[in-house]
Amino acid sequence: MINRRENRLGYFPRIMIWLFSLFIFFGLAGTWLPSFGYLPIIGNTEFSFKPWHDFLTYPGFLNSLKSTLISGLGASLTALTLAIGVVSLSYGNRAWSLFEKFLAPILSIPHAGFAIGLAFLISPSGWIFRFISPELSGFVNPPDWAIIKDGFGLSLMFCMILKETPFLLLMIMGSLSRIDIQGTLAVGRSLGYNKFQVWFKVIVPQFFPDIRLPFYAVIAYSLSVVDLAVIIGPTAPPTLPVLILQWFNDPDIAMRLTGAAGACFLLILVVLIISLMFLLEKATVVILSKKAVDGKRKSILSHITRVSDLTIFSFLFFTIMALAVLVVWSFTWRWRFPDVFPESWSLLFWQKSFMKVKDPMLITFVTAFVSTIISLILTIGCLEYELTIPKEKLTNDLSRLIWFLYLPLLIPQIAFIFGVQIILTILGLDGLWITLALSHLIFVQPYVFLTLSSIYRNFDIQYTNIGAILCGSYLKAFIFIKLPMLMRPVLFAFAVGFSVSVAQYIPTVFIGAGRFATITTEAVNIAGGSDRRVVAVYALYQLLLPMTLYLLAIFAPKIAFRNRKKMQV
Amino acid sequence: MTLQLNEIKISHDNQPLFDSLSIIIKKGEIATVMGPSGCGKSTLLAAICGSLSQDFQLSGDILLEGNSLIQVPMELRKVGILFQDDFLFPHMDIGSNLAFAIPQGVPAKERKLKINKVLEKAGLKGFYKRDPATLSGGQRARISLLRSLLAEPKALLLDEPFSKLDKALKEQMRSYVFEQVREMNIPALLVTHDPDDNAGDQVVNL
Repeated sequence: MINRRENRLGYFPRIMIWLFSLFIFFGLAGTWLPSFGYLPIIGNTEFSFKPWHDFLTYPGFLNSLKSTLISGLGASLTALTLAIGVVSLSYGNRAWSLFEKFLAPILSIPHAGFAIGLAFLISPSGWIFRFISPELSGFVNPPDWAIIKDGFGLSLMFCMILKETPFLLLMIMGSLSRIDIQGTLAVGRSLGYNKFQVWFKVIVPQFFPDIRLPFYAVIAYSLSVVDLAVIIGPTAPPTLPVLILQWFNDPDIAMRLTGAAGACFLLILVVLIISLMFLLEKATVVILSKKAVDGKRKSILSHITRVSDLTIFSFLFFTIMALAVLVVWSFTWRWRFPDVFPESWSLLFWQKSFMKVKDPMLITFVTAFVSTIISLILTIGCLEYELTIPKEKLTNDLSRLIWFLYLPLLIPQIAFIFGVQIILTILGLDGLWITLALSHLIFVQPYVFLTLSSIYRNFDIQYTNIGAILCGSYLKAFIFIKLPMLMRPVLFAFAVGFSVSVAQYIPTVFIGAGRFATITTEAVNIAGGSDRRVVAVYALYQLLLPMTLYLLAIFAPKIAFRNRKKMQV
Repeated sequence: MTLQLNEIKISHDNQPLFDSLSIIIKKGEIATVMGPSGCGKSTLLAAICGSLSQDFQLSGDILLEGNSLIQVPMELRKVGILFQDDFLFPHMDIGSNLAFAIPQGVPAKERKLKINKVLEKAGLKGFYKRDPATLSGGQRARISLLRSLLAEPKALLLDEPFSKLDKALKEQMRSYVFEQVREMNIPALLVTHDPDDNAGDQVVNL
């Protein structure tokens, strides 16, 4: 009976855990050993502290560390504050429901394309300045200000805040579905607390444990992001991760050792900061749990609902405008500062680029498609396996699994992907498409699992049981009853996984060994180019694939079940 | 054709849910197990149809036509089950819901004919293409029963199937179900907390 299914399904979690362990273990080993001078493939077999010494005494090290910390810590802490503030102040109102509608498409926008659009929007010669010039600002020429690529990494921080706050909000929303918000608010308000007080004292403490790991993932990401930092981050010196990438790509092959030391340093930095955040959280809990029962009913914060709504609108503003300016630039022929719109338009850059992006688009699509399909199969296999084991055992398994799932998101990519490449080179497996797809899978898997799991677990198993009893086959019931009933969340998880794969930069550069150009690596490579029209076209191509998938995920179930009332949500 | 429970005992964390239960149900008979909510009635049915969660330990034997079901997977037991919720598949029309239950090997044309026949008999003529969500509670309950029976089960389990219906409908549905089961001539086991549900055959109190 169930045991037989348990045995077969048991392979799925095992495959997943092995795959993750292999990648991470060999990745870390392949980075830490070179950081102490051991890299036989370039002839270094002597252990030494020279790479660490070279790294720590690099002239730009301190400046680079400074901009990394400012942008990374600033972005993750601001995003967390904004996400909690916005949900507490605006949940359920009109601004919120508008935001809810746009959340999925906003999240589907790949970081690189978004950063390019944002740069075109806020830079001194960007759209905003063109709108206010020369009438309001008096500028006839773009001002000589370092708004983007500033030395502190502020523009990088701003860009990450715009991307990470919606991500944390999505995670919060997932968690909120398990809390009876209306009931809690009703009880709290009848006890004399205002809405914000109820949120702050009762609801936030309930969902915070659920967003702890996503928040740590945001920290790790913000401190180690490469593609965004290349596009919109500081340059001389760049942030640490970009510096490390430059060393890994240096013509002088010995610089890879310095890069490895830097990558390990970055990992230590992330671990330290996450530990610090953990302690800070514990301290905050001690202080706030006393405050929660101090009986105070009033708070000045409750008067800033408007500020929260304004935050929502500015998020929507910057995102939509960043996309709009890309579209305008991509059709531009001549556009002089400070004109608000181009003088003349052209299709030339779309036409010229088509042949060039054809192959990268195909590689991007196939890689994303295959890695996401494998990831969906693994995820569904694991979730089906869950159904076959007793609940008590499950709670143990699950708490371990969730850390495992987050591991690839908590370790900076650059701190283990280089190592994976080294190991693959030793094994003679570098530059294969299949390893590229597998490396994408490592990062797609957590997102697919986290997107799908809660809805999948909530599925009423009686439907599958009854289906199996009726047709005499569990598999048939699974395929014809469960999967179609879960079509919406499954397609949505597919779209999420797909866009994660499309956006991968570091794994594509390293594991692809330069042999596979995706639209993302192409877009990042030409982002520094001077012709905004070409850059805009590439950025839009990068947005095209995930957007299409999201639209499909939204509309396909609507069309397929247009005559089924209970399937409409 | 009988359904036989031999000293069935179900425990959770080594706590038995009820005293061991033995019962023999002949074909065409509808036995009733009575008990307040939470006494393990639904768990008993889950054990019989094979969907018992691994959190429970089962001892004793379940025999259908003399063969033990204990090692048989749920989907091969040929034991149908009906709940208070209809569990009609929301993504399929009524016809497909019913077709899903008809055993394989029956050609498509015949399946359709059969479905139309049972629909007509149930007073639901022309409902083939309807969306389950647009039917009334009573209609859905009837379809759900028809679906269970179309799978040609060798026994039927009824888990408080009438408790969600209003009083007049309950009466109707009860006699409809009893009539259908007697017509199929299979053993049926009904669990309920409502003394009115009893079909006139043997009654066991849990």
